[in-house]
Amino acid sequence: MKKSILLAVLCLCCVFPHSVRAGAPPLDMEGLTAQMDELKALVVDLEAMVRSQQARLEDLEQANRALREGSVGPQVVLASPAPERAPVTAPGLSAFNPEIGMLADVTANLSQSRADTEGNDKLSVRELELIIGHDVDPYSRFDSTITFSDFEDVALEEAYITHWGLPLDLKGRLGRIRPKIGKASSVHRDQLDTVDEPLVVQSYLGVEGLYRTAAELSYFLPLPWERVTHEVTAGVMEGGIGEDGTLFGSTRRRPSLYTHLKNFVDFSDLTNLELGFTHLTGSKDADEHFEVNAVGFDATLVHYFTPQNKLKLQSELYLQNRDETDAGLDDNPWGLYALADYRLSPRFGIGGRFDFVEPVDNAVENPRDEDVAWNGYLTFYQSEFARWRAQYQHLEEADGGNDDKVFLQGTVAIGVHKHQLQ
Amino acid sequence: MKHFFAVLGALWALHFSAGAVKAETIRVVATLSTFADLVEKIGGEDVEVSFVAPPRFNPHFIEPRPGDVLKVRRADLFVHAGLDLEPWRYPLVDAAGKSELRPGGQRELDLSQGVRLLEVPAQVPTRAAGDIHIYGNPHYWLIPDNVRVMAVAIAEKLSEVDPVHSEAYQGRLRAFLDELDRRVEKWRQDAQGIRGKEAVAYHNDLVYLAEFLGLRVAQYLEPKPGIPPTPRQIQFLEGYIAERGIGAILQASFYPRGSSDSLARKTGAEVVLLCQNVGERPECGDYFALMDYNLSQLTSHFR
Ligand SMILES: [Zn+2]
Repeated sequence: MKKSILLAVLCLCCVFPHSVRAGAPPLDMEGLTAQMDELKALVVDLEAMVRSQQARLEDLEQANRALREGSVGPQVVLASPAPERAPVTAPGLSAFNPEIGMLADVTANLSQSRADTEGNDKLSVRELELIIGHDVDPYSRFDSTITFSDFEDVALEEAYITHWGLPLDLKGRLGRIRPKIGKASSVHRDQLDTVDEPLVVQSYLGVEGLYRTAAELSYFLPLPWERVTHEVTAGVMEGGIGEDGTLFGSTRRRPSLYTHLKNFVDFSDLTNLELGFTHLTGSKDADEHFEVNAVGFDATLVHYFTPQNKLKLQSELYLQNRDETDAGLDDNPWGLYALADYRLSPRFGIGGRFDFVEPVDNAVENPRDEDVAWNGYLTFYQSEFARWRAQYQHLEEADGGNDDKVFLQGTVAIGVHKHQLQ
Repeated sequence: MKHFFAVLGALWALHFSAGAVKAETIRVVATLSTFADLVEKIGGEDVEVSFVAPPRFNPHFIEPRPGDVLKVRRADLFVHAGLDLEPWRYPLVDAAGKSELRPGGQRELDLSQGVRLLEVPAQVPTRAAGDIHIYGNPHYWLIPDNVRVMAVAIAEKLSEVDPVHSEAYQGRLRAFLDELDRRVEKWRQDAQGIRGKEAVAYHNDLVYLAEFLGLRVAQYLEPKPGIPPTPRQIQFLEGYIAERGIGAILQASFYPRGSSDSLARKTGAEVVLLCQNVGERPECGDYFALMDYNLSQLTSHFR
């Protein structure tokens, strides 16, 4: 069964490159092709002629203007823009229109699981993100992401102000954000290397990662090294946890606290390493304060073999600390994932992810202590703004069940879509 | 206690002496090594210049690192290409969070201002025409006329940010422009054998050089700027190259060689590597060396 699904995935992957080739002219139309090529060449010639005449026209116009302004000195420099200068409409320069982008994330998910959850056994628009942002004033910027889905209600995923004008070069974020917790949860799902969030993130923080209303400050430690940077982020966020997350309870009144230390080493243009440490504290029980703690470690190594061939190795580990002795549960459940992603060429990337996570409420009689999953995926980069991905997942659950899933994902972006640096 | 004050005093002295050293030079961060080279030529010892994009990488697709964010944050001047050459500079400047360096700020310099742009679309830009180059061709520094404009803009901006050294900047600008004039004459002579010849290129980043040298480059391995070569485009180029008797496939060294090499094998054309940016190859150590190298590559091919 597993093998046949893998085969199906591979077949599907092979369809993509062929679709690109589909437009090639058939061989029996040689005459027509030759004519087409002749026409193309003619058009190219005409284009070149128009271009050169345009250039000459401009030169004359400029000379004319220079003469009129009497500015023909020893340095004739075109200080004034040429007539066909680009309209200054680059993103961020446009006067007062907010930057608007839209991102559609369409996924098909084939699963053996009976659960009727997000996208099981169907093709769905998992997310349609409406991204709106703009500079507020020289010191702050507003960003928001509104998520539509054909399975859930409209959600306000992000709506926050970034503020730079703070003392000590502090940067602040206020509003609904993806808090700086580890790597995977702090980015949008469309920036992940896999279709789904790593299982440990899904299980502890939420299927879509964690987004909360929060106040967050970050600060680069003023250390003298050239190639090493350290950034500390700390925040307070509303209580509760992401959808189906189990780390904290659902009470939003009790705030949670988080801190993150990011250490980044630039070995060279080709190799860099990031080591991160996260601490989270909050509550599960509405009557208690900060009785659940968790620490996270993340490590990401990036190496470029050539400018096109990039290898990324990433791993995150989360360890909980709580008191569940009375309930007969593990006090220190933990989980991790390890991911390897390799960009084969400008168009293709492959990768794999291993997941291991101990469920927080695993019953003693369960045959296994943890959920384990093996994932393999292939990504086709159509352009900067469109990407296709097929992922196969074999899951062995703590309760004894096994599942094999196939995800197919298409992500397209229109309008302005800029990601924050991570 | 005495020790405490002594240490405090020493720290205070150190702080101010560090400040005094800083006041003598201004820190300039450029997006590209080529711009950094021009700033260095005009700023000389009065500036401390660095760049973000490693020249061995495609300047369109760079992932700035945290060290770059810090570098930009500490900069007195941020120099960039404008247009859509470096789409990554927006999140970089956002992350650095210094309002003067942001678009329209007092301490940013958009080098596209005033240069002569080619291939500016007549209609409203659309992504159907490719991911990048939607405001016109942004690789505008490979034609010396534009470099003159850029050098003048750099000198003006440096004088504005650091008026104390204004005279030195103007002096170095004159020296640079004189040197450029001399070189241009030589380059024009060297290019005699290239005039009227035709080549194809990997990415549409050579129109300015082509115009300067009288070379014709009209077809690219990338079907649209930023879109990797497709089998269909390669097939078209096979016919095009054969029909027009083209002998050269031009590309920067950071583009993959696979498609160009296979096209070269099929058509008998030769892949000619050219520098897009200063430092991309050891031979391209500064702007003059880069142009020298590109010319020697082309002349030895078309000889
Ligand atoms: Zn380009």
